Order: sequence, then C-alpha cells, then structure tokens
Amino acid sequence: MEDAILEVEDLHVTYHVYGKEPVKALRGLDFEIKPGDILGLVGESGSGKTTLARSIMGLVPAPGRIERGRILFDGEDLTAKSREAMQSIRGRDLTMVVPNPRAELNPLVPVGRQVANVARVHLGLSKAQANRAALEMLQAVKISDPERRFHTYPHELSGGMAQRVVIAMALVCSPKFIISDDATSGLDVTVQAQVLELLNRLVSEKRTAMLYITRDVGVTAHFCDRLAIIYDGQIVETAKTAELIEYPMHPYTLMLMAAFSQNPRLRSMWTKAGSRIASEAGRQGCPFAPRCVRAEPRCYQDSVALRELRPGHLVRCHIPVTR
Amino acid sequence: MNIIRYIGKRLLFIVPQLIGIVLVCFILVKAIPGDPATLMLGPMASDESISRLRRELGLEKPLPVQFLIYIENLTRGDMGKSWQTTKPVFDDLLLRLPATLELITFGLLGALLIGIPLGVMSAYRKRGIISKVADYYGLFAGALPDFWLALVLILFFYTILGLAPSPIGRLDLTVIAPAQVTGFLTVDCLIAGNWRAFRSAAAHLVLPVLTLALVNAGPILKMTLSSMDRMLSAHFSVYEELCGLPRLMIVRNAFRNALPSVITIVSVLYGYLLGGAVLVEIVFSWGGAGQYAVQGVLNSDFNPVLGFVLFSSVFSLFVYLAVDLIYLVIDPRIRG
Repeated sequence: MEDAILEVEDLHVTYHVYGKEPVKALRGLDFEIKPGDILGLVGESGSGKTTLARSIMGLVPAPGRIERGRILFDGEDLTAKSREAMQSIRGRDLTMVVPNPRAELNPLVPVGRQVANVARVHLGLSKAQANRAALEMLQAVKISDPERRFHTYPHELSGGMAQRVVIAMALVCSPKFIISDDATSGLDVTVQAQVLELLNRLVSEKRTAMLYITRDVGVTAHFCDRLAIIYDGQIVETAKTAELIEYPMHPYTLMLMAAFSQNPRLRSMWTKAGSRIASEAGRQGCPFAPRCVRAEPRCYQDSVALRELRPGHLVRCHIPVTR
Repeated sequence: MNIIRYIGKRLLFIVPQLIGIVLVCFILVKAIPGDPATLMLGPMASDESISRLRRELGLEKPLPVQFLIYIENLTRGDMGKSWQTTKPVFDDLLLRLPATLELITFGLLGALLIGIPLGVMSAYRKRGIISKVADYYGLFAGALPDFWLALVLILFFYTILGLAPSPIGRLDLTVIAPAQVTGFLTVDCLIAGNWRAFRSAAAHLVLPVLTLALVNAGPILKMTLSSMDRMLSAHFSVYEELCGLPRLMIVRNAFRNALPSVITIVSVLYGYLLGGAVLVEIVFSWGGAGQYAVQGVLNSDFNPVLGFVLFSSVFSLFVYLAVDLIYLVIDPRIRG
C-alpha cells in the first residue's frame, strides 16, 4: 500500500468577520489522495471547495484561519510550515490550476515569460534554460504555434488558450500534486473535454496526484478515480467513481445526479424547494436536513459521522439510501 | 504598423489642439475689459494718440481678421510688449521659461526619487516603520505651503548654517552666465566647461529644488501607494503568490503594473508646476516664467500673462503627448 501524498486530517477553517458570527467554512474535513490518483471533489458554490484548495496551498483567503487539523503533504504538515518554506513548495511540488485565467495572468508580461519565471524561481534554471523549458511546456499543452505564442500577452489569447498556459505553469516543475479549482468552468464544452484529456495524460505520465474540484458531477465521471461530495464544509459521501455512480447513498448525491437526469419523476422526487442556508458555527444536526426530502426529526438534532457502509464507500447520513 | 499609425494620428491631432489653444487665448485677450490702447498709453493720453494706436493695433477691424492678425503675429514671435520690462513678451519668456523649466524638472525628479521608493516600500511592508513614516509624510506634504517650507529651508541652511548660497537667483552675483544653449544653466555650464559657474548654478538650485521635491513628493507617494495596493491585491498578484514566486518579484511586477497611474500624476504635476512654482520662484528671486506672469497680473500688464498662458498650454499639450507615447510602450493592451 503506497503512502498517500496528501492527507487532510480533521481540517477546520473558520472565517472571522468583524462584527458578525464566525462562519465555519470547513468542518472536520478528512480525506487522502495517493500518488497517481485523481480525486474529484464535487460541491456547490459556498460548500468550501475554494477554501479547501487555498488552505492546502497555505494561502487561506482572509479573514479565514485554520482552527484545527493537519494537512500532510508527502509526510510533512503544511500548517506548521513557515512562509518561506511554503513559498518554495508552492509552484514546484504543489501547484494549482485556477479558473478564469485571463484575469489571473499578469497583463504586462508575455505568457511564455510567465511560465519561464516559475521554472526559473523553483528550478534555478538560467534564463535560456527556463525559456526552453517554458517552450517545451507550451508544446506539451498543445498550444498551436508555441514559438510565436510565447511572446503574446494574456489579453491576446482565447479562454482555452489561456487555460492551457495556466496548466503549463502548473506543470512546468513536474509537481507531485495539482489542485484544479473549477479550472474548466466557463470554457466551451469541447475545450473543456480537450483540457481534461490533456490533464489526464500529463498526470498519468508523471504519476502526479490531483484534486479536481468542480461543481459538475457529469464531468468527473470519466475523469476521476475517486469522488468526494462536499456539502457545507463536510464530506458527505466518498467512494470510487464507478461505485458512487452505481450506488449513490447520500440524499445530496442523489439530488445532484437527479438534477442531470432526463427523468422528470426522478428529478421531482429528489428536489425540494429552498436553497442552502449558511451554517452557523454551533449548529447541531446534519447541515443538509433543511433541503433533504428524507429528513426526520433526528436529522435536525444529531450530527452524523462518516461511516463505511460498503467497502471503500463512506457516507455521512442518518438514513442513507440503500437498495 | 499599429504604433506608427497611432503616433501619426496623435501628431496630426496636435494641429487642431494648437488652434484651439490659440483661439482660447485670443478670446481671453478680447475678453479683457477696457480699451487696450487706453490701458497701454495711460489715463493722460490724448484722444488722437489713442485712436492712432487703435488703428495700429488693428482694433477697428472685424474679429476674425483680428484673429488672423493674432496668429500671424504669433508665427513671427510677436506676442506684444510688456510695458513693465518694455521688452517683447516673446524675448522675456525665452529668458524666463528655461529658468522655470530647469527648476521644475529637477524638482520633479527629486519628488520622484523621494515619493516612489517610499510608496513602493510602504506597499511592500504594510506594517513597517517606513509605512508609518510615509503616512505622516503624505499628510504633511499636502498641508505644507511651499513658500513657507522654502523660507524655513533658507532660514535653516543659509541664515543659521551658512551652507547654502543666498536666495538671490540662479547664480552668484559675481559669476557670469555661460552662453545660452539649452537655457538650463547646469547643462549650459557643462557644455561650456565652466566649472565655477556650474558649481554656483548647482548650489543655487539646491534649496528651491529641495522645496519643490519635498512638497510634490506627497501626491506622488500617495498615488504610488494606492496604485501598488490595488495591484498587489489584484488577481494576478495572488496567482503569482500561488505559483510560489518570491515576494520581491511579486512587488516588482506590481510596480510595473502601477506605473501608468504614477506617470499620469507626474504629467499633471509637470504641467501644473510651470505656473505653480511661482511662490518658490518669488522666494528665491528666480526670475522664472510664473513670476513674470504673476507680476503681469498684478500690474495689469496683459501681454506677459497671455504669452504665459499660451506657452504653458502648449507645454502641457506636449507633455501629455509624451505621456501617451510612454503608455504605448509600457502597456501592451493599448497596442493590441
């Protein structure tokens, strides 16, 4: 059994807003990812996905703070590391692919040079070597005419092209772990498929592990090895992809899948009116209860722990769906 | 190709802009109440000398014709005479404008040297000592009257310490100015190889330049700081941090992005200071253009005032043109 490259243990992240109740963004997150694995993290807006991604990178968005828990990367606890230590890990062993790339790239620097900068800083290459590495990377991400595109500026690129540049920046140092934070949302479906296929290939070539964060269940089905469903800062269900798709057990998972279904009866069965309520720090009970069609009184009162209901399949529910 | 076309368009656009400036100046000339001839000759003049002067000046002709005469005079360098100096305004300005230009150019350079580093370092370390110092400095610089600071500096460095030369102008009384090539005394002295004059000119520049630098560093500092703050919290800076780039590099990149705002404010200050340095000029007896214009205003001597307005408008025009071209170079989004 290989050691996990990333282990998140009981991670609690809270946002302390001045003058308001603290908001718990992550409430006891537990998961692990092995080298070469792709874990798909599915959740809706506000479920804590980006908070998790940034917390792993060591850049918890202000005014958030890690209250409890550990993030073990290659055996070392990232929460205990200094700023300088994190700065050398970020971009080299642990990288992130961000969404909306044209807003994230520096508008005044040619894209090739931005990729080369990452290589220079982390790999200690000379300017010429870094430029060469950047060029190779641009070719690897299938950017057409890479020599010319090396000198273009971000605003001259299309969304898909810019996304590839960002992927190149994430991969140029051959990282051990990549986090993709909603990286393909906003792209055309065909471009999305190309980008995913590209990521898949590059990841399997180098045995990189990946945390693929998304709002779209459908996309993850073909792409990820394991899936984890996150709701309101907690993982509510996790299993191998095939297992989860065939035997979904948590009501929220079923609701997500029903939403894509063609069957109107299925959809009406699983969807209840009402949107997500932001969870207060001290609330008891299952956070999904207000939206759950199967909720019973005890769902509002008692918290649930993750339980292994089938081999390798964990669910956090009082009344999971079993057949 | 785009760049050349853009420059060409801008240069072409200068022509209507210049015509507009001249038109406004002409309207200002005509808007002055009273009869110019009477004003020039004084209350004791006889009626026939007044009407003779009126005919000479073409004041009886219709306005558009007068405008054309005005333009024609301008192209010959005739802006009228100042009745105070009894010399043509054009010659007066040719003597005084370089004095002011030298002063404000060095003054702005000094302001940049003080303001930009303070602004960048404040943004780099938001809770450090430099940040606090810069905060108070920005406050004071805005509140400080420049002539007061000038007097304080003179009191301290000349009267008490005896380090600076006396504030009687650009050169010591005993030093002869070199031949005028650029109008900048320092440059002309270097060209002529006249070391004594150079030292004198430089020494006399120190205090007024210091005054202008200290006062104008305030807005430059504030603009740099706010621009840097904006750039450092922008998406691309956060992304650079995500890629593990060192903080120094992130700050350097943010500075490049903040540059356009700083350049804008420098250009505004530059245009303003041509006249705005007048109080400093007066305190140091500089003999500059602003001083000249103010004396004209105080003594109802209109030709110098109008000449100055024309010159400073044209100056601002070219400063803004230069700034636009600089933007073209540093911001690829404009080219694309």
